[in-house]
Amino acid sequence: MRTTRSPETQARRVARLLRCYPRSWRHRYGAEFAELLLADLADRPRDLRRTVDVVRSGMAARLTAAGLTDHELPPAEQIRACLGTVGGALAVIASLGVAMLAQLATSWQRASGGPATAAVGTLGMTAAAVILGALCLAAAGPFGWQLVGAARRHGSRIGPSVALVVAGVAVLVLGSLHFANHWPGTGGTGAEHGLVPGGLAAFGWASTLSLSSFWAHPALLARFPAAELGWMAASPVAWTSVAAGLVTMTRRLELPPAVLRYLAGLAAAGTAAAVVFLVGGASWVLARSAGQLGPFRPGLVDGGELLIMALALIVAVRATGGIRRARQAMVAVRRRDADLQPK
Amino acid sequence: MPDRARGSRRGQSEPLRIFGRYAGPATLILSSLAEGPKHGYALTRDIEHFAGVRLAPGTLYEALSRLEGQGLIEAIASDDRRRPYRLTAAGAHALRAHLADQRRVADVGLSRLAQGWDSA
Repeated sequence: MRTTRSPETQARRVARLLRCYPRSWRHRYGAEFAELLLADLADRPRDLRRTVDVVRSGMAARLTAAGLTDHELPPAEQIRACLGTVGGALAVIASLGVAMLAQLATSWQRASGGPATAAVGTLGMTAAAVILGALCLAAAGPFGWQLVGAARRHGSRIGPSVALVVAGVAVLVLGSLHFANHWPGTGGTGAEHGLVPGGLAAFGWASTLSLSSFWAHPALLARFPAAELGWMAASPVAWTSVAAGLVTMTRRLELPPAVLRYLAGLAAAGTAAAVVFLVGGASWVLARSAGQLGPFRPGLVDGGELLIMALALIVAVRATGGIRRARQAMVAVRRRDADLQPK
Repeated sequence: MPDRARGSRRGQSEPLRIFGRYAGPATLILSSLAEGPKHGYALTRDIEHFAGVRLAPGTLYEALSRLEGQGLIEAIASDDRRRPYRLTAAGAHALRAHLADQRRVADVGLSRLAQGWDSA
């Protein structure tokens, strides 16, 4: 029996299905695809396979927009998409890595080195974190300059992304500085062995306070001050806001080829540094031994963080490959154009 | 010049080979557009009519966007929300080469069946 549904209900269903696709795809194909869906819904009001097909295809379109499928975008667009993806993946690794490193740095302050695996992990992750920080600073200059220029030309296009990043950074900095004062680690004082400056480690600890095994122990969590619980809930939102804003900005900024090449090089170096970071983390978490006591002892939460960082690294490596292929395509186009020039 | 012709044919069928698992929908769409421009729903109905396959909306538009990206089809400006697509010259070459490859495989298969199975 054919069920009849009002046009409003059908339009709502279509609008819901369209949300599976990224904004850029909807901008190009949304209207005509909605017409097709409406016609298809009229033919077959109930069809689970259609829903599954649209959801799957929408996810594929999102992966394509992120530069993660074999179906690649025009080279410059592909590089921007992949840069955004590498940036997002590195932001995930950085946010989780800061939490791991803060734990290790605390332990290091109390007992330098600790078990060999923890020492390797701490030193490897610290070195990689320094490199990642330097790469961020190296990217900030040219990227910021382009951002200022783009804001003058078409501010409304990137304005919301800039606002997201500024708001996220402001919340993270102010909140972390406030809560870092209650840090149970060195907090910059009483350190016996310095590796990471105490204030910096305290800031890292406070900014990632939400990454905690306390979530699995509600009774203990309930004893936390309300402000601290509020910060544990708010800080991930701030981290997400910063990462999402940066990714969106990178995808929307039309960067000159020279800046794209420069940022592509930094992205490749950042991915390589992230590999070192993860090897350091894995050497600590996976080689858990009986000698690792106290804060040096990795917990389930560290294992979970390592797993998420490994997945983020896979995404970053794939996106870096997408950048490489797009750069090769750009070179091929330049050579072809040069060959076509009258001699 | 058989060798040159074969080399040329391989080169032309390359655009469809890179479609991987979308080569099937792409072939159906290009074959439908070979008759003339069509919008999404008309493509679905035509393909269902001549191939007995109903392409789901997501699959159809996934293939359409890839074909458009490769320059094998192009959208026609339209005031209607249902935007029609047409085959480009590159698309026609690619389809011809791809179908010729498929026909060669079909001919070989049918001929071997005739030799080995029709008498059984």
